[in-house]
Amino acid sequence: MNAYINTYELLCNAGDTESLMEAVYNKESALVIDTSYVKDASAGLGKMEYDNIFTVMDEVTEKVLKDSNLENYHDTLLILGSSVGGMQECEEIFYSEKSFRNIDPNRYSMNALTDHLTKKFGFYDTRALSTACTSSANALLLAKRLIEVEAYENILVMGVDGLCYSTVLGFYALSVLSDKKCIPFDKNRNGMNVAEGVAALLVQNVKMDDSVELKGVGASSDAYHMTNPDPEAGGAMASMKNAITDAGLGADEIDYVNAHGTATIANDRVEALAIERLFGKHVYVSSTKAITGHTLGAAGAIEAVISCEVLKQGMIPPQTGLVELENQNINVPLQRIPMKVKNVISNSFAFGGNNTSIVLGV
Amino acid sequence: MKLYIKNYSSYRSDREDVDIRQLLKQKYKLDTRRQDDFIHLALYGAQMLKERTPIREDDELYVTSGYGDVDVIQRTNTYVNKEKEPLKLFDFINLLGNTTSYYVAKSLNIRGKNIFQISDNFTYINSLVSLYASIKNSQKDAILCAIDLASTPTEVSKRVLGVEKDVKIVSSVNYQKFSLDAEDAIAEVEFDLKIYSQDEIHAMMQNGRKAVFNAVRCAKAKNSEDAVLFETMASDALNRALAKNEDMLYIDCYEEKYKILKLKSLK
Repeated sequence: MNAYINTYELLCNAGDTESLMEAVYNKESALVIDTSYVKDASAGLGKMEYDNIFTVMDEVTEKVLKDSNLENYHDTLLILGSSVGGMQECEEIFYSEKSFRNIDPNRYSMNALTDHLTKKFGFYDTRALSTACTSSANALLLAKRLIEVEAYENILVMGVDGLCYSTVLGFYALSVLSDKKCIPFDKNRNGMNVAEGVAALLVQNVKMDDSVELKGVGASSDAYHMTNPDPEAGGAMASMKNAITDAGLGADEIDYVNAHGTATIANDRVEALAIERLFGKHVYVSSTKAITGHTLGAAGAIEAVISCEVLKQGMIPPQTGLVELENQNINVPLQRIPMKVKNVISNSFAFGGNNTSIVLGV
Repeated sequence: MKLYIKNYSSYRSDREDVDIRQLLKQKYKLDTRRQDDFIHLALYGAQMLKERTPIREDDELYVTSGYGDVDVIQRTNTYVNKEKEPLKLFDFINLLGNTTSYYVAKSLNIRGKNIFQISDNFTYINSLVSLYASIKNSQKDAILCAIDLASTPTEVSKRVLGVEKDVKIVSSVNYQKFSLDAEDAIAEVEFDLKIYSQDEIHAMMQNGRKAVFNAVRCAKAKNSEDAVLFETMASDALNRALAKNEDMLYIDCYEEKYKILKLKSLK
């Protein structure tokens, strides 16, 4: 049984899917330099404006339902990937009251998000995955496998993360947070921008006129270091290889890599090496995190939406912000490339060497 | 959906009083620095499983928990928001779900896929479905770690879980190694996606079948066996039946919905 992405939507710092793709193709970063999160320091962040992340989830979920062939979500499984769950609200309460006393347990943990959506939309069942920056990529991976074993016909995959002090300060403590807008794959990059966003993709077992096929998924574990990737890129290569094999394709059939490309020194060096070894220069590579920032657990779903749009629009996204490419053996375009795009691979890599890649195609 | 169990390991804080960190250091020669109690608990179960069954490098790893590591969330919030201290690096790292998976994968030398799945309902059974769907494709074996740490004080866990103050919360870690292959299996476990109603469960029970319930969540049902709570107690019940070579029907409950799993001993 094949898995198809039939409807999707997102909201992030650059707006909805349409606005984001305009920003991607026009190289207009939606990142801002913020001085409110880190004491006595500035940080590049991807910030949205909303009352709370729950209302953003509602809006995106409703939009996907409206655009789908479903009347409701009562026969749909919800798989949600998030790195922090409801921690944002928990922090706000704790911050204002200096106490846990008024924190609502039902809006706290990872599954607070799925519980909220189930109560509002009546999903048949739910799963919440938390594997940091691979969370929603792993949700897509699980969705494909569940469709394959005919467990479900309709699965809504969501990636959700709201900005939190814990994540911004945590990445700052790790010295990987950039004080500027991030510049993936650039020789002079100095780190990532933490961001927020919500994306939802309806994965179904039926093909429609404008379906994008979720052709392959792959994962691997470096088991090398808690925060640093395997410098030989073994894990990154393995997850891409696994996804391409799962799709029944060869590496030469991939047209575009939507890279994890966080703009940290370690990630981009290793990911570029993996792409160089696997594809050489025949494939176009770019990271859209230069527009959105790193939306952590939501990134896999957001970048899956971008990849779907790349396939549909037949246009390779240029690399925003790039001045001097570090690894000259990969093909990072500075301008958008119109072409027939048949297959795209999207990477998500997380702490602990947790790697996931997905192959989408038409 | 059917999986075969090759082996298992089990620990519950209310049944054994051991210093897990010391055991990890002295018996298993593991570096326990920079890790917290949640990770130590997961590692302890992993090492016990490793003693009982061969682990392959390409085995897949699943870690599942009802509410994750509440202690570290409490600690980071206290530092950052209450005491106005900088976030401690390893507290941030330990906040992440896949930190536990990483340490377990490293200690078992696993390089296959690893997933951390968290849920406050049907935690264990839902993870089994994920695991089954994955290895049905990969044809690998998979290890499932079901873990819940009672935070200190346990009131925090109770608030997060939204349970009454008199419910006893315990720490627990239970592992099983699963396969699609029956060779050398000690038991088989069957489960499905169906959500049963209370009436269907009562009808199921009227044929005299012995079942084990999630005691706290299935309070309205009979035959509750345990008066404590941890979200992954299905895994513990399964391991206890495995230890006695018994068959078992396990019934889990959440907000008037029920799911079941059936264990059949092959010994």
